Amino acid sequence: MDLDITLRQPVVIECDATVVEAASSMAANGVGSLIVTDHGRPVGIVTDRDLVTRAVAKGADPNSRIDSVMTANLIALDADADFDDVLHTFSHHGVRRLPLVDHDRVVGVVSLDDVLVSMVTDLGGVARVLAAQIMFPHAPDEPPAPTTT
Amino acid sequence: MQARVGDELVIQGHHVGEGRRTGEIVEVRGADGGPPYVVRWDDSGRTTLMFPGTDCEIHRPASKENH
Repeated sequence: MDLDITLRQPVVIECDATVVEAASSMAANGVGSLIVTDHGRPVGIVTDRDLVTRAVAKGADPNSRIDSVMTANLIALDADADFDDVLHTFSHHGVRRLPLVDHDRVVGVVSLDDVLVSMVTDLGGVARVLAAQIMFPHAPDEPPAPTTT
Repeated sequence: MQARVGDELVIQGHHVGEGRRTGEIVEVRGADGGPPYVVRWDDSGRTTLMFPGTDCEIHRPASKENH
C-alpha cells in the first residue's frame, strides 16, 4: 500500500466463539474489530459497533455465537493496493475497516480513520513546507537576468 | 467453498435495503478453489477481493458443468 499507514495486526476469533469472548478479545488486544474465521479461514468481520447494535441493543444472549452478529462476506484489499483502490473500496462497500491480504492470508487491517489520519498528516507536512517558504524565502523575487548570446 | 474462474457468485441481502448482488469470479486466490476470490460485480463492473460468507452461493455456468 502506498499510504503511510501503520497497519494494525489482524486479531482473529473463531466463528463459534461467544459475544462475550469477542468483546474480551477486543479489550485485551486494544482493537475495535476482529476477523472471524472458520477453521482458520476468514468468513467475516465483527466490530465493536456490531456488538452494540446487533447484540446489546437487541438484548441478545451474551453467549450467542459471534457469527450471529458479524458481517459476513468479508471485503478485502490486496496489501499493495493503491490509494484510489482503498478509497473506492471504502466508498463502494460502505465499510470502515478492511483486511489486507497477501495471497490468501490476512496480514493487516486498515480503517477509514487510519486513512484520514494519514491524509491529515500529509497535509500538515505540506502546510509546514509552505509556511517555511513564505516566512523564509530562499530566492529574491526578482526576474532572472537576461542572457546574452 | 470451492470455485473456479468464471463461476457466478451470489450474495442475498439480509438487511433492509440490501439487494441481491451478483458477480463473476475472475480470480481464485486460495488453494483448491478456496477463497479469497476476486469478483467483478455485475452492477458496477468493479472488482473486489473477498472472502465469501456462508450465505454466499456459487453457481457454475451450465457451459462449464462438464469441464
